[in-house]
Amino acid sequence: MVDMKEKTIVAISTPLGRGAISIVRMSGKESLTLAEKVFCSQKLDYRNITPRYLYLGDFKLGDGIIEKCMMVYFKSPFSYTGEDIVEFQVHGGTVLTQRILEKLIESGATLAEAGEFSKRAFENGKISLDEAESIIGEINAESESELSASLSVAGGKLKEEILALQHSLTEELAEIEATLDYPEEDFEAAVKEKIFSEIERVYNSLANILNQSKNARFLNHGINIALIGSPNAGKSSLLNAVLGKERAIVTDIAGTTRDTIKETIAYKGINLNFFDTAGIRDTDDQIEKIGVDKSKEYLHSSDIVLHIIDGSKPLSQDDKEINTMLAGTNYIVVINKIDKSRVVKTFENEIEVSALDKININELLEKIYNKVISEEIDFNKLVVTNERQLSLINEGLTKAKTILARQEESMDVVAMLIKDLWQTLGKITGQCENEQIIDLIFSKFCLGK
Amino acid sequence: MKDFDAIVIGAGHAGCEAALALARMGNETLLLTLSLDAVAFLACNPSIGGTAKGQLVCEVDALGGEMGINIDKTSIQLRMLNRGKGPAVQSLRAQADKVEYHNEMKKTLENTPNLYLRQGEAVDIIDEGKYKLVKTAVGIEYKAKAVVFATGVYLDSRIIIGEYTKDVGPNGFMNAKFLSSSLERLGIKLLRFKTGTPARVNSRSIDFSKLEIQNGEDNIQSFSFMTKEKPKNRAVCYLTYTNENTHDIIRANLDKAPVYSGLIKGVGPRYCPSIETKIVRFADKERHQLFLEPESLSTNEIYIQGFSTSMPTDIQEQMIHSLKGLEKAEIMRDSYAIEYDCIDPKQLLPTLELKNHNGLFFAGQINGTSGYEEAAAQGLIAGINASLYLQNKQQLILKRSDGYIGVLIDDIVTKGTLEPYRMMTSRAEYRLLLRQDNADLRLTEIGRDVGLVSDERYNMFLEKKAKLSECMEKLKTKIKMDEIFESLFKENGENLPKENITLYEMLKRSNIDIFKINDKTHLFDEFDYDILNEVNIMVKYEGYLKQQDEEIAKFKKNEATLIPANFDYFKYHGLRLEAAEKLNEIRPLNLGQASRISGVSPADIAVLSVLIKKDRG
Repeated sequence: MVDMKEKTIVAISTPLGRGAISIVRMSGKESLTLAEKVFCSQKLDYRNITPRYLYLGDFKLGDGIIEKCMMVYFKSPFSYTGEDIVEFQVHGGTVLTQRILEKLIESGATLAEAGEFSKRAFENGKISLDEAESIIGEINAESESELSASLSVAGGKLKEEILALQHSLTEELAEIEATLDYPEEDFEAAVKEKIFSEIERVYNSLANILNQSKNARFLNHGINIALIGSPNAGKSSLLNAVLGKERAIVTDIAGTTRDTIKETIAYKGINLNFFDTAGIRDTDDQIEKIGVDKSKEYLHSSDIVLHIIDGSKPLSQDDKEINTMLAGTNYIVVINKIDKSRVVKTFENEIEVSALDKININELLEKIYNKVISEEIDFNKLVVTNERQLSLINEGLTKAKTILARQEESMDVVAMLIKDLWQTLGKITGQCENEQIIDLIFSKFCLGK
Repeated sequence: MKDFDAIVIGAGHAGCEAALALARMGNETLLLTLSLDAVAFLACNPSIGGTAKGQLVCEVDALGGEMGINIDKTSIQLRMLNRGKGPAVQSLRAQADKVEYHNEMKKTLENTPNLYLRQGEAVDIIDEGKYKLVKTAVGIEYKAKAVVFATGVYLDSRIIIGEYTKDVGPNGFMNAKFLSSSLERLGIKLLRFKTGTPARVNSRSIDFSKLEIQNGEDNIQSFSFMTKEKPKNRAVCYLTYTNENTHDIIRANLDKAPVYSGLIKGVGPRYCPSIETKIVRFADKERHQLFLEPESLSTNEIYIQGFSTSMPTDIQEQMIHSLKGLEKAEIMRDSYAIEYDCIDPKQLLPTLELKNHNGLFFAGQINGTSGYEEAAAQGLIAGINASLYLQNKQQLILKRSDGYIGVLIDDIVTKGTLEPYRMMTSRAEYRLLLRQDNADLRLTEIGRDVGLVSDERYNMFLEKKAKLSECMEKLKTKIKMDEIFESLFKENGENLPKENITLYEMLKRSNIDIFKINDKTHLFDEFDYDILNEVNIMVKYEGYLKQQDEEIAKFKKNEATLIPANFDYFKYHGLRLEAAEKLNEIRPLNLGQASRISGVSPADIAVLSVLIKKDRG
């Protein structure tokens, strides 16, 4: 059943440097043999080992150094990967954990590739297609934080949350279906008010999950901020003020910054990626036009747009046009050069700064943060989604919204729409057997002749 | 020994449809039954239709089956369930005169050319390949190329009343003692199921003045497309309820209930629980609703719907006397539970033919289903396919998007069932499309193709279609707003349109329907109710129907990806062992059916689709 040809792999399966305990996991048919070389315990007889039993014992690191740790054995196929697994639970700390890993590799194990445990679990049918998809995310993880986040997906956090929503929909569907299939029975029929208030709750929860998943994304990739404005409004100076160093070329000639410049700073643990673009203005200069097109593109692909305006000069035609382009995007109007006297009117979402005198720079960063991160990042609630899951959640959100707009429809239509939403969520959880609804109908209601 | 083209064993609701289909398609058909007095016998409640079942009857009718015609002839009360909950879930339900229902069906069978109705007990079936031998208890041996098994709940059945058990079929009819082992000799796996029926009481002993009456609805549609005169309401039903006293009696005597004493081992249906099961499982429910249904105009017998039990008769009597209006009720027949053998339907193809034996078809309760309508639907398909088999033509498989019949058969052969399977509208994923009102539009052409739809029916159908398009065409008319239309809009709380609109656009308004338009304008007087109703639904639900059409298009893609008949699920790596085993058990015809096997995940299907491609090379 389990392909035993594969080599035995090992990896540290807890995030490095965090927590009091680290786990080093080894999977493959040699797991136990390798463990025997390095770990011993008074109670432990390797010929007669009890699976899923925690053994306290000594890990021999070599040179007479011994580390006390716990060991547990999962027998194939009853393990995460479906293979024989041995796990060592050791005191946290990068160096120690690293040495244990090295010792196991030295003894014959191979360092696991990213996502290899999950891949094996997938291949052995231990995890579903969905979780398998998060493996791909795992392999491509760019940063440590993303890795820990996708591990939480593998742990089924998203699945758990969506399952709970799906379950409440199952309850509603069971009530509706019982009402439709048993019109003559004497029980409390499904009530539309209750159904729709439940759909509203599902809608809000999905929106919340989406927010949290966006937060997770910001945590991994940072917030992309596009600086736009008419030439010489002070975009580069502002960027320099933020970075605290001279980077972009600052001159008085309009249109100097032709190439897009990306600069990153960390703020409250999140990367702020500033994209300084060429000023937007109608131009015939071919080279500059590329920069202008690029800034229009950034306008739509960034998480937030900073429209920089020279507050000391009357508003240019360009600025007026840019301001109308901003409608519908997440933006802040930055009134620069308030060290001089201000002549422009007040804008929505504005902040006054001086790049030259470094006035309000921190306030600007805070404003950016608040406008993008809609709510406090709760690290316990973060969910990471891959592209498919994200689009399914979005699809679910749209469907929930549609249902809420169709409260006047007859029950057969309402049922169809809710079932459709239920199935969309089912694509995330991997559970949407119609029999679940029918089971619930009969466990909930006393029906039948 | 006489040779037939086909033999149908059992003349219940499945057997009658199977035999009629076979004979009407030109096959010399023997219909063998344990008792001629049990032909099309309504062994449980005297009613046809209801949610999902009404749809099934209309579908049987559209394909050229008999059930709809027979119930229209013998209906004594008719109602439309689920009015106001949307057209997709509306279902006809009729009280049948069970005596007449049997008589009429028997007459039809007797007068059908090519059909030979014969009393006799089949005891053994021998599959000789091209020919099948059916031996009867008295020693006759019949020979045919195809056999349809429609034995109902008679296989090695026994009834249970308290501690009393007897090896008989329903209602004291003799059972089929030897057929189960004959099936096992053919290599068929059997299951044991259980069901039950309530007591019948004499109407003269019931105080109806204490009870709530339930009348039929006048002037509503009939089941059959062919019925010209609308069935009349000739009887009424009554409602009563259990009470604390009833529940106390049951609780005090639970140890005598065979379901709880362990005497009954068969699996009973969740949707047809005995009253003792209801009391135990829903202990906090204060009362249970019961319907009193007349069995026939020619008898006083009243069926107590909702009160089936296998308690001893003295307890049954106490229970019944505790009911309002039935304090002095005279029991005429006891309530009983019945256990019987059936086959695991996973052994069948979606054509209802046995996988490992060509020419052996199965239909009705022998397949683990319950209900007259479910039986008739399968009987019809088994009969059609047996006939197509004899003619060496391609078998008929209705898809889940074609009708409830498709859903029913696909469910039982793909997923199997752990209890007697009942049709429910919630089992149909394309419920909005699979309506009672359009059953003829969905299925008449298919019935015509296989040769069951008569010229008369087909011409009526073509006429209806022409009328429909005429009516749809008329909707394109642009209307000049005048006083009449203005009042139509105002009375229904709709804003007046800013410019002239078509009747179609008018119909899209949520508070206006085609009947309201016609009441005001008489523009559609030339069209019958059926046509107007159909057009109204088609326009009102257009958006949602389109949405289902898109889903159906996706669904059909998987259905069209055929899996080679001899595909080896164990040949390649990549398919989980569990999935491979399940797939190998069912041996689905296509990827769609494979995806509906429980325990087979979308990942398995993804893998399988790759493997099929790989296998083809």
